Amino acid sequence: MIVRVQFFSYFKQLATEETLSLELQDDALLEDLLQRLRSRFPKLAELNRSTLVAVGMEYASPGQKLSDGALVSIFPPVQGG
Amino acid sequence: MNRELTLTKAPIVEPECVASRLASPESGACVWFLGSVRGTEEGCAIRGIHYEAYEAMARHQFQRIFDEIEARWPIQSIRLVHRLGPVMAGEPSIWVEVASPHRAEGFAACEFLISEMKQRVPIWKQPIPL
Repeated sequence: MIVRVQFFSYFKQLATEETLSLELQDDALLEDLLQRLRSRFPKLAELNRSTLVAVGMEYASPGQKLSDGALVSIFPPVQGG
Repeated sequence: MNRELTLTKAPIVEPECVASRLASPESGACVWFLGSVRGTEEGCAIRGIHYEAYEAMARHQFQRIFDEIEARWPIQSIRLVHRLGPVMAGEPSIWVEVASPHRAEGFAACEFLISEMKQRVPIWKQPIPL
């Protein structure tokens, strides 16, 4: 399956790209995607503990199963107000 | 419960917001909150803050917070305006109006809204240096 990934805030600079698509196994979990991204973007891996992840419009946990065409958003802690 | 959510690059004009107050005859209390950009960030003077949002998710998460407020307190109306893009120091970055039968639930809902926004609505700040 193909999933789309987008980064926000300073994670765009750390990842060196704003959006990308990745092919994963059909039974892939969110954690599988995050491991791929940590390998590809080591600077993001260093911020693992302060990384928020959403699938679609909802926050997601690493054990969540992904589906074809999912939009995964990765960003630092939010700061509205 | 009435809901109005505005994410905008236009300035927040507080008198206009207040003048368009949305409260029913049963609204005994109207709580307003105005948040402004400070002129310093971590001890350093700045020109302002650039606000970036993941707008679709921000709108969705605000609506979820509104849902939780509606389930918890007898709030009659919430209006919220949040600036995006560059906001200079001293300018308003957020304006909130909560109308309710009594003040206690209005203050509580307004505080809850701001606190939850800062935990889960995807908006980020980037200081603009002098």
